[in-house]
Amino acid sequence: MNQSRWLTWLSPLLLLVLWEGAVQLGLLNRVFIPPPSEVVVALAKALRDGSMQHDVLVSSQRIGLGFLIGALPGTLLGIWSGLNRTVLALVRPLATMLYPVPKIALLPLVIVVLGIGEVSKVATVAVSVFLMVVIHTIGGVLQIDQRYFEAARVFGANQRTVFRTVALPASLPAIVEGWKLAMGFALTLIVGVEFVGANDGIGYRIWQSYELYAIADMMAAVCVIAGLGWVVTVVLDEVARLVVPWQYTVKESRMSVVRTWWGAVRPWSYTAAIVPVLLGAAIAAQHVGLNWWLLILALIGSIAIQGGTNLMNDYYDYRKGTDTPAVKGTGGALLRGDLTPTQIFWAGICAFGIGAAIGLYLVSVTGPFIFWLGLCSVAVGYFYTAGPFALAYVGLGEIAVFIFMGPVMVLGSYYLQIPTVAWPAVWVSLPVAFVVAAILHANNLRDIDTDRINHKRTLATIFGRDGARIEYYVLVGGTFVSQWVLVALGVAPWPTLVTLIMLPLAWKLMGIAGREVDPAALQPVLRQTAVLHMRFGLLYVLGWVIALWV
Amino acid sequence: MDSGVVVEFAHLGVTYANGVVALSDLSLTLAADQAVCVVGPSGCGKTTLLRVLAGLEKATNGEVQLSRPATLAMVFQQGLLFPWLSVADNISYGLMTRGATPPQCRAAAREWSERMGLQRFIDAYPHQLSGGMQQRVGLARALAVNPDLLLLDEPFAALDAQTRVLMQELLVDLRQQGLCRSMLLVTHAIDEALLVGDRVVVLSARPGRIIADVTPAVTHGQSFDEIRAQPAFMQAFTTIWQLIRREVEAQLHEEVTL
Repeated sequence: MNQSRWLTWLSPLLLLVLWEGAVQLGLLNRVFIPPPSEVVVALAKALRDGSMQHDVLVSSQRIGLGFLIGALPGTLLGIWSGLNRTVLALVRPLATMLYPVPKIALLPLVIVVLGIGEVSKVATVAVSVFLMVVIHTIGGVLQIDQRYFEAARVFGANQRTVFRTVALPASLPAIVEGWKLAMGFALTLIVGVEFVGANDGIGYRIWQSYELYAIADMMAAVCVIAGLGWVVTVVLDEVARLVVPWQYTVKESRMSVVRTWWGAVRPWSYTAAIVPVLLGAAIAAQHVGLNWWLLILALIGSIAIQGGTNLMNDYYDYRKGTDTPAVKGTGGALLRGDLTPTQIFWAGICAFGIGAAIGLYLVSVTGPFIFWLGLCSVAVGYFYTAGPFALAYVGLGEIAVFIFMGPVMVLGSYYLQIPTVAWPAVWVSLPVAFVVAAILHANNLRDIDTDRINHKRTLATIFGRDGARIEYYVLVGGTFVSQWVLVALGVAPWPTLVTLIMLPLAWKLMGIAGREVDPAALQPVLRQTAVLHMRFGLLYVLGWVIALWV
Repeated sequence: MDSGVVVEFAHLGVTYANGVVALSDLSLTLAADQAVCVVGPSGCGKTTLLRVLAGLEKATNGEVQLSRPATLAMVFQQGLLFPWLSVADNISYGLMTRGATPPQCRAAAREWSERMGLQRFIDAYPHQLSGGMQQRVGLARALAVNPDLLLLDEPFAALDAQTRVLMQELLVDLRQQGLCRSMLLVTHAIDEALLVGDRVVVLSARPGRIIADVTPAVTHGQSFDEIRAQPAFMQAFTTIWQLIRREVEAQLHEEVTL
């Protein structure tokens, strides 16, 4: 954190300290102006008895509902008016005329028409949001540079394509800006509305505290609404980054937080975490009715541990300097500087924490077997790239992944449903184990040269390029062959043969892997092997599910 | 209209709503595989000519005849890339509007970005690129639709001098590879017209009429420096410059006497 960011915190802190001191020294009357400490106590009390949560929830509902009811039609009408002169002539004068009228002044009228219930409160918010959004959206559409429309037309765009590719994206920044303003407005408005005719909500609480002369309670409520405003701003800012990303790609400006973390935790790798859990449950379902609660918990836990592993992997790879910008796909967020190593590290710890918490719960429900399974998994996840004997750097990566993302996970998921250690579950998991190891190996095959330079020992660097190609054939081929053997032996049901439709992709990938040398050409192999894993895994699970009925 | 003709203007006239006559009685035939450059003083209606062809402006007199339903594409002066689309989506825009599937679009974007040296920027947004790079994307977007006639409206005027030369060379190179066949380039730079075009059409001051239509004896297929050193180049340059100079001076004089 740099100096100026410290300074921004200094002035509010100083104010609080002076305020507290002034009250404690008797310079200010405690009855009229309670010190910050009392406000904190009042806030804690309101949170403990749940009344604050209730009021926040009620107000948020009114704002949220009013915002949706106002913003959606407002945006649509705004766009329509911006594109059509007739509609514009009808809408704009009315909107501009009504816009400056303080909406709170309309509340009594709204109450007369709609009654004093929820409807009138939501309606008041909705009307003001609607007007604000309409005016901003019209402005946004009208200010689009006409030449973009011309360019679209020259390139053969029809009316609908022009709307989708020019009118909408070009006006989105202004539309989102309108949403932001409207939301701030809604927040202000709801307090006023709740002052008058409500018996709950944050505004009601402020007014009520005033009437009871509980100034500390009142200030606590004001603090909460300030916090609410801050949360809303942050959320809408994030929405803006997601909706209009091209506005946020300037060097100084950061990318969307969601996008950045999305990239950092590599969600596409989660099929590796999901497929075995589903498979274990699907096998168990052949014998018993499923416990959905345990299945969902197992899925979340597994995703959390996978996320943690990814983040730790990034962190340690970055520290060891293995990932250079030339190596694409890993630790991208770190290399670009979007996230700091510390952030990655603690996010990884948090993910492991969630995984551990769920794991402990599952252990308490089912017994120690899951405990040992989970402990081993976490240990392997951690030592995968961490510590002096990082598994990935001594050529044990594929084997660890094969065992833990195949048999171990399937067995664990199965055990949650039926608490016995069932060997068939292990055999059945083999195809998935092969294909998940193939993903990792595709990565190592691609990086074979850079890994050699960095003294990162993988099976690929140990076997050499030809050996590594054969290993890829074995892993991808083993995926299918092992499954055929299982079906032939009657261990796996015949509907699982739906996976055959993935054979052409597998064949194509083996072809590319056997031919290409250039990392850029091998990059699609890695990506497509992950796709193969996902599709093969889900189809395999689907086969087991179909087997429940046939 | 014979098959070797791409487009034919007959007695074309454009008068704007405010009474300004941009073009009057302009007749011109563009042959297939020809690179025609239109030069003339500022405001002579060069750009209007392109806009009529592109269907962005209506001719008030005369007619424009295209041989068969021809595909046109245009490169705009400021690039005019869509800021909200990535480089890849900009390049494949014309294919997308013509119903290409996303994988086809992606493949075309990859092919053209490699050809234009843009592969590192394929996922970037236009504003992250330099002016020259942006104009490469503009050129790729136009050529990706494999147009029968490529229209270029002062495409390199906004670039710095060094980048401009590189882009002109790129354009010539693309033509030699057979990637852009017929083109109509509007420019105010006479040397650009002579370096890039086979045929140069000189327009008068507004309202634009054709005052010269020459096919200079410049030998192409050499480096720009060598072409510039050819006597034919210098001779054509001087002739065209004299013509335009007279127009500009007449216009100045007119404005003064007004």
